Amino acid sequence: MAALSVVCAGTIFLYLLRESAPVFFAEGSGFLTRSDWWVGESYGAGSMIFGSFMVTGIALIIILPFALGGAVFTSEFLSPRWRLVIKSVMELLAGVPGIVYGLLGMSMLAVWVKSGFGLIDGNTIFTAGLLLGIMILPTIITLSEDALRSVPGEYRETALALGLTRIEMVWSTVIPQAVPGIIGAIFLGMGRAMGETIAVMLVIGGLDKIPAPWFDVFQAGQSIPSKLGREAAEAIGSGLHWNALMGLGLTLFLVVMTLSMAGNMFLKRVRM
Amino acid sequence: MKREVVEKSALGVLAILTGTGVLLLLLILGSVIWKGGPALSWEFLFEASSDFGNAGGIYYQTVGTLLLMLGAALISMPIALGTALYLTEYTQSETVKKVLRNLIYSLNAMPTILFGLVGYLFFGVFLNTGVSWLTGMLILAVMILPTLQVSIQEAIEGIPEKYRETGMSLGLDHLAQVRSVIIPHSWHGMITGVLLGLARAAGETAAIMFTATTFSGILLPQSWADPVPTLQTHILVLAQDAVNSAALTKAWGAALILLFIVFILISFSFLLRERLKMEAEL
Repeated sequence: MAALSVVCAGTIFLYLLRESAPVFFAEGSGFLTRSDWWVGESYGAGSMIFGSFMVTGIALIIILPFALGGAVFTSEFLSPRWRLVIKSVMELLAGVPGIVYGLLGMSMLAVWVKSGFGLIDGNTIFTAGLLLGIMILPTIITLSEDALRSVPGEYRETALALGLTRIEMVWSTVIPQAVPGIIGAIFLGMGRAMGETIAVMLVIGGLDKIPAPWFDVFQAGQSIPSKLGREAAEAIGSGLHWNALMGLGLTLFLVVMTLSMAGNMFLKRVRM
Repeated sequence: MKREVVEKSALGVLAILTGTGVLLLLLILGSVIWKGGPALSWEFLFEASSDFGNAGGIYYQTVGTLLLMLGAALISMPIALGTALYLTEYTQSETVKKVLRNLIYSLNAMPTILFGLVGYLFFGVFLNTGVSWLTGMLILAVMILPTLQVSIQEAIEGIPEKYRETGMSLGLDHLAQVRSVIIPHSWHGMITGVLLGLARAAGETAAIMFTATTFSGILLPQSWADPVPTLQTHILVLAQDAVNSAALTKAWGAALILLFIVFILISFSFLLRERLKMEAEL
């Protein structure tokens, strides 16, 4: 039984490696650096890789204040009863299906972004980032709250006994102790954001190019999973196109696994 | 004086930041109910869809989603239980435990679209199950494995040491110990795990959209080898038809049902854990 779960994880990696090998032979390292993806001619995944990192970055910048503020407040200032409420709310939020987020993003968020920033089309890298931020909020809040909670009570008591106010106590004793756990939580949240497919696919615009200038996030883009979601069905078994998609899959796999391992290392004690 | 001001304002800011999270849930729930509510009716729930989902209901899609997730849980359950028991009861080796734990975490962090791609290659092509109910169940079973496994393991690890010792002092061997001590005292972990796993499977789209379902014109599967209609892909198709307001209303209706299924499952897991916490405190 236990062996079965090992086999599962191993199989995924081996298959990705095997199926993507041809595209790396054909394109070399250009696969990762160039951004010309013309089916049948050349495969450069640069714009998808750029898009993935960009949406994840935007998601983090937008949501971190809320996630960390929320975690500190919930862990340090709320009564057990209210803590339970917040934790339950976060668990429910984490359970909202990606497709529902996608529908919300597409028919509400994209419209707001469009009118709010005066754009021609609301389906942009920024919209995808914003939506992803909302989606990873529960992960980051829950895990960093656990990290803050696991700081022993004596630290708090000592700080209070020295005459610090509660905010000062949290800022100068609890948070510094919890930093590794919080970093772990952020890494795991990033992993989540990188891998999200359906919701991003519906709001990112689906254009395989790096915006010019690159920091103009109010243009359509593409992330690795959204590309996979759009093209995998039609490309199954179709030679180099399929191999190229699997190459994208392998890239995504390696990035997410690195993030998740780093995150778990920081977290030590992990909750899912 | 200044410290008090800092204290008060910092607390205020934190409270607002926290409140935003709660507001988000209300906002999401509110908009799905607001937009999907008008689509609801008995006909919507119990009729087949027609005209590519623009008319009719979501009966087959709902049943399809339920079939897929139940199948996945049934397949995943024994594997998760076996892994958890092996880790807690049978192996002594720290290395084995560490490797397995890391693998389970990796599996949990894996982007779901990769389950779809590789699952299709492995089950659909290599084992020749095609685009079918069976492929979908197998893929989802692997996907929810970590959720079930961790929940079961936490329950087993939470069993008080004295129960184990009593079992041992009665001369129970490994198997008897597992059967009459471990499993009866950790069933709640299994149920919680299954509920959360079901919720996760119900909410998943990327892993099944090209492995278990075709996009229109299918009814319930007649055998393992037939594709299933699902709520998730139904919403996806309708959503991409975004200019058509009739289709969009149906999509919101389907989203409301899907959200309802997921929230019911998660809420039950809360109830179960709450009751157990009370029992534990007695």
